[in-house]
Order: sequence, then structure tokens, then C-alpha cells
Amino acid sequence: MMRRSLPLLLFAALALLYPLLVAGSEVYQRLGALVVLSAIGASAWNLIGGYAGQVSVGHAVFFGAGAYAALAGYAQFGMPPVAGAPIGVAVAILIAALIGVPTLRLSGHYFSMATIAVAELVRVLVTNWEWLGGAQGISGPAVPRTVLDLSFTSAVPYYYIFLAVLAAILFGTWRIEKSRMGFYLRAIKDSERAARSLGVAAGRYKLYAYMLSAGLTAVAGALYAIMFGFIDPESGCGILISVKMLIMAALGGAGLLFGPLVGALILVPLEEISNSLLGGKGAGLTFVVYGAMIVVIARFLPSGLLALFAGRMRPAGKPSETEPSHAA
Amino acid sequence: MLLEASRLTMAFGAFKAVDDASVAVNEGEVLGLIGPNGAGKSTFFNCLTGDLRPTSGTVHFDGRDVTRLTPEQRARLGIARTFQVPLTFESMSVLDNVMIGAFLRHHAAAAARDKALTVIGEVGLLGFADASAKSLGTPGRKRLEIARALASDPKVLLLDEAMAGLTPAEIRAGIDLVRQIHRRGITLVIVEHIMEVIVSLADRVVVFHQGREIARGTPSEVTRHELVIEAYLGKRHAAKLSGGAA
Amino acid sequence: MSSILLQVIVSGLLIGAVYALFSSGLTLIWGMMNVINFAHGDFVMLAMYTAFLVWTTFGGGPAAAVPIAAVVLATIGLLSYFLLVRHIMKGPMLAQILGTFGLALLLRYSAFWYFGANFKTLPDSLLGPPFVLGSIRVDAPRLLAGTIGLLVTLSLHLILTRTALGSRMLAVAEDATAAQLMGIRPERMQAVAWALAAGATGIAGALIATFFYTSPTVGETLAIVAFVTVAFGGFGSVPGALVAGLLIGVIEAVSAFMIGPVYKDVIVYTLFVLVLWTRPQGLMGKA
Repeated sequence: MMRRSLPLLLFAALALLYPLLVAGSEVYQRLGALVVLSAIGASAWNLIGGYAGQVSVGHAVFFGAGAYAALAGYAQFGMPPVAGAPIGVAVAILIAALIGVPTLRLSGHYFSMATIAVAELVRVLVTNWEWLGGAQGISGPAVPRTVLDLSFTSAVPYYYIFLAVLAAILFGTWRIEKSRMGFYLRAIKDSERAARSLGVAAGRYKLYAYMLSAGLTAVAGALYAIMFGFIDPESGCGILISVKMLIMAALGGAGLLFGPLVGALILVPLEEISNSLLGGKGAGLTFVVYGAMIVVIARFLPSGLLALFAGRMRPAGKPSETEPSHAA
Repeated sequence: MLLEASRLTMAFGAFKAVDDASVAVNEGEVLGLIGPNGAGKSTFFNCLTGDLRPTSGTVHFDGRDVTRLTPEQRARLGIARTFQVPLTFESMSVLDNVMIGAFLRHHAAAAARDKALTVIGEVGLLGFADASAKSLGTPGRKRLEIARALASDPKVLLLDEAMAGLTPAEIRAGIDLVRQIHRRGITLVIVEHIMEVIVSLADRVVVFHQGREIARGTPSEVTRHELVIEAYLGKRHAAKLSGGAA
Repeated sequence: MSSILLQVIVSGLLIGAVYALFSSGLTLIWGMMNVINFAHGDFVMLAMYTAFLVWTTFGGGPAAAVPIAAVVLATIGLLSYFLLVRHIMKGPMLAQILGTFGLALLLRYSAFWYFGANFKTLPDSLLGPPFVLGSIRVDAPRLLAGTIGLLVTLSLHLILTRTALGSRMLAVAEDATAAQLMGIRPERMQAVAWALAAGATGIAGALIATFFYTSPTVGETLAIVAFVTVAFGGFGSVPGALVAGLLIGVIEAVSAFMIGPVYKDVIVYTLFVLVLWTRPQGLMGKA
């Protein structure tokens, strides 16, 4: 147990000290905040796409719900953006139920189709809804009014806020992994039919995972809106957001606790580098690369990078050392 | 009567896979369902488990009508089953597989784990608890499925051709296991088309052919039944047998 | 009924026939292998660009573009099947979904990168003046597209139900293991299905290009139209796709007429959500 947690503790210490380690560079501090924020979104996606095995390709709609609720709350009612976040979470959970209740009973492909269609539907609606800024979008507070507006000039406070949220999400996910729900989700992923024969209400568990995932994604959206102070249909509900969330989780390891974080650590810096090297032309190329990456992952490495390194179970034939009732 | 199917019919369009079948299973007995391939016994089986909804007829369990209940609802009431082609959770260990069954009655992970280990010990898989399900061979997987089902504390266990694909030695081990389970008071419904298994295990047998029941009784009664021999071996062979037997 | 409304309906039926054409390919793939091709809309997009290239390279109209696009897309379909789809079908759900989804992104943004974001159009003059039938004016390109769309979809249905090849394919769709036992090779039939489905998108795309803007992202919307059509008509049913396609075309046209072109998409997407909730297996299919 000690041996396994040592690298984790080291990494956690590194994460806590990171902004100090790059104290001179605003660019690196901002990058750090971006990595953590992306990891939050990807970890949220991981709950439904990785653990439950139901591939949502329209998760941007939940991100947008959080982002828009935060900034609309400010623009329309003068609330600090963070106060709008719970509303965004509620809306996201509602949309998840709307999509999930009819489709999670059916084949996985149907669910995925539905997520694309609803994401597109919402994006078109938002683009044409003046109350939400239409195609122009909404901006947050230009000048912070109170500290509750969470409007900082440096990226460092954001970094720590995001880190705390990520830690909470990962801890929660870890607890779920070890609980009945975690076991049930893995079983459903392996064989829904067998799981049901053992009393697992598969549809219900998938729905819970989806609703939880949606709510947490909305949190990521709200945090994004708070940091960047601006949201529009493309940055809020665009397909790029759905793609980034799922590619980070899938590359790192879908269904693994740290998979999304690993994916974010690889892809976010890569995107920043390519953006600065290629400039504007790079934008179109990014998608091409992501598309190619997704195809390669699907074809050759669906379990993700972390799965290559994760501990393996002993094959049959070797004696086991398990005794009943040892403290896990 | 623990489990009762009443006038069960399963039609796919015009084709009746099961035609007006009524079977009752008494508590504590071992009921065998046999019949040649395509006889409809698997379809009938899946109506009992809830994987298929019958076109007409009812299924009652422990006094209540379960015809409209889903497989998971039936599992909760105490109906457990195994699959003809084992559906083990391949990415999980043997222990984790069995825990899924245990979780039905034990919501906390530690309690489910203890229960699973106990059951694993009972079926003789203790040495493999941490092995991945993927690494087991067919007999291991079948045994795992049984352990998994047992961990859910069922009242009746439905075995779908559990001995198919096993060597004679493995079949003997399997028969022993099933006897052991029966001794613990669990009612069993066994679908098989290996005669010897049914003869060794079943108290009563129902024979299916072309969706209908053609005979029922004790194993020895049924194996001598003219229609049964006909169904398995064809009319000419049956005539030869009855003509040849003195 | 006012003649404008009638005109709108006719127009809707014509585009609906084209929707039916490319959606029947999607539903065929589903029926054969229980997989949704998320790149289907982008296949149509590629066909549109193919038609555009045929026009700009040697001035060929639809008579040349349609067969060329059909062949090009059929090839792309076969390549997709052999290099990607065949393998992901053996993998987990994540691989199955991400496989064609990634392909969609790859195709879409490669087109974006290569052709640029701007719309391209084929000249109106390609096919001659509009037809007039009674009080209804129909543009020649739309009339041609609708007619060919209908004919090819019907042909596809006939191929499936009346030919030996078709019955082999249907056998695989019904039960691949049983079909294998009868000597049919499921992989081969699935490859044929992909070629036919992609070829159909080739024809559809080349036809659409004669009256619709060609852009890299047109596949995004068309994909959803295909999803709605397949869901509505029933997964795996080509006749269902035909009926549903025509219906969707009419609903879309009437919505555009009554509440404006922006919201016509919203109506179609909302229709999809309604189908999900009320009758997910569609009019005639197996979910």
C-alpha cells in the first residue's frame, strides 16, 4: 500500500508546488490552469464514457449549460458567475435525464447518436436566443466587483481552485470505483446481460453515471466561464469541446482514475505548442490531428496509454494470497 | 410450487418456438428440461428468466406473477441463472465477478467480498480468486458463473446447458458440484441435452420437441418413452429399437 | 390547398427522396453489423466535393459526376471497412463509436484544410430551366435529384430482397453465425454493404451538389438528418428509410416555409428526441 501511494504523493506535491516552480512565467501558470481544467472535464466525461462504457460524443452541451448559466446569471441578473453554476448543473442533469432515460435502455450506438443530435439542437437554439447572447455570446464582469466574482489577473488562483475541484472529483470517483456502483458499472460494461441476470438494474446505473457526469461537466463549464470571462455558442457548446473531453480520457485511459489527467497532461501542452508554431492555420489542422488520433486510439489502443502500464491481474494457475476480511 | 410456467407460448411471427408449455417446479427438486436441438427448451428457459417475454401464458414464482418482470427484478426475487455460452465479466477477476452476485444482498463492498470468498471456496475456485476471468478455461468459466449466481443467494438456480463442451471428467466434477448445491436446499432447473447428466441429477424430467412438451416423468420413465426416442433418434430408429427389443 | 404550400411539399418530397437515399445506406450498415457510421454525413460531403471537382476539372455535369462520385465513395467505403471498421467491431463499445466518429472528424477537417471553409457551388445553368407542372415550379436539379434518389433507393431495396446477393446479405443481417454455417462469409457481405451504402452516399452527394452549397461542415447536419431518418424509419429497414426520408423532407420544407430556415433544423432535431421517447424502434425496424 505504501509503495503504491508514494508516486501519487510525489505527484500531488508537485502539483501543489507547480505555480511556485514556474513563478516567473505567466504562460506556464496559465498552461497549468488549463491542464487542470481540461482534466476536470475529461474526468467528468470518464464517468459515463469510461466507467459506464456509454460513449457520449455531445458532452459539450453540459459544459455549455454550466458556462452559460454562470455568465447569463451575471449578464441578466448581476449575480457573481459562480452563483449561476448550480443552475447550470441542474440544467445539465435535466438534459442528461432527457437523453438518457429513453436511450440507455437501448444499444450503445443509439445513445451516442442521441448525444450528437441533442448537442447540435441546443447549440442551434443557443445561437438564436438573444437572452443568451445569440451568436455574439456573453461576457462576464469586466471589472471585478467583489471577490466573489472570482476575477483574478493571475492564473494562479484559478489553478488552485481547479486543482481543488479536480482532487474532489478524483476522490469521489475513487470512492465510486470501490463501491457497489463502481463494480456494477464495470460489470455492465463487460456484459450487460449477465449483470442484469444478477439483479443489476443496468439502465438505472448507467443513468446515474450519466447524470453525475453531466453535472460535473457543467461545473467544468462554469469554471471555464469564470476564468475566461466570455462564452459563445462555439466555445460553449461546440463540437471541439466534446472532442477534447473524450480524446483526453480515451488517450490516457478511459475507465481509469488517472486516465483523463494523463491525457490532459499530454494533449493540452501539445495543442498550445502547435498553436504557437502554426498560428491560425493550425486551428483546422488541430481537428485533423484529433480525428486521426481518435481513429488510431479506436483501432489500436482503445484502453488508453495508462492501461499499458497499469497493474495486471495474475493469470490462473498462480496461488492467491487472499484471505477473507482483510482491511482493503 | 416454487416456479410455474402456465400455457407458455413464444411465437416469432408465425413460428412457435414454444407452444403451450406448462411446467411446474417444486421447491427442493431438480427438474430437467431436455429435448433435441431446436426443441424450444432454451427459448422456454429464457421466458423463465425474463430475457424473453412470452407471447402468451404466465410465469409464477413463489406465488407471484413475474411474467412481466425484467431479469434483474426476477434475480432480486431469487431466480438465478447461468448462460449456455459463459458470460463472465472478462475484465474482472474471479473474485470481482462473484462479488457482483454477492452485491445483490450485501450492499457494502467488504461484506460482498466476504460472501464472495466464501462462495468461491465452496465451489473450489479459491486458488483462482485473483486470477482474471479471461484466463480461465471453459470449465473454469462455467464454475465461475455458478459461483456468481450462488453468491446472490437464489431460491432457484437455472442452469443452461452447463455441461456442454466439457470433457467426461469435467462433467463428473460438474455433476458433483450441482449435487452439492442441491444438498444446500436450492431448487434446480437444468436444461441439457446430454442424457447421462439428466439421468444422474434430475428428480423429474420434461421433454420438449418442436416447442411442445412430449413427455414427462422420472428420468428412467422418460428415456424409455416411445415419443422421446423418436424425437431424438427418428421414427425409423425408434421402430427398430422397439422391434428389436424383446 | 394553396399552390405555394403544394410547391413546398413537392420540394420537400424531392429532397426527402435524396435523404432516403443516403439514409438507406446507413440503415443497411446498421442492419448488417449493428454499428452506426458516424462518418456517413461526411461521406455525402466528400461526394459533393467530388462533383465539384468533376465540374472544375473537366466541366462534367451530373451525368459524369454521379457515377464518378458513386465509385469514389464506394472505394472509400470499402477502405473504411477493411482498414478500420472490421477491426473496431471486435473491440469494446468505445472503439466502435470512436472509430467512425474519429473518421468523421478526419474527413471533415481534412476537407476543411484542403478546400478551405468557403462554400462552393455548381453553376445553376448546368441542368437547364425549371420545370413547370400545373401551378408548380420545380428546379431541374431538384427534380433530377429526387427522381434518381427514389429510383436508386428502390433499386437498393430490390437488390436486397430479390437477388441472391441480397438474400445472402439479409441472412448475415439476421444471424451472422447461422449464415456462416450456410457457407456465406459475413465479412464479405459486410464489405459489400459498406460499398453499397457509401456508393449511395456518392450518388446522393453528387446530386445534392447541384442545388446546395458545398462546404466541409455540411456533413454534420446531414448526418443528423440521416440519424433521424433511420430512427424514424426503423433501424435496418430500407423501406422504412424511404418512407421516413420522404416524411422528414416534407416536414423540413414545411417548417422552413412556416417558421423560417433557421428553425427547420430545430424541428428535425426535436423530432428525433420525440422519436427516442415514443417509438425508438421506428416505424418498421429493430432497435
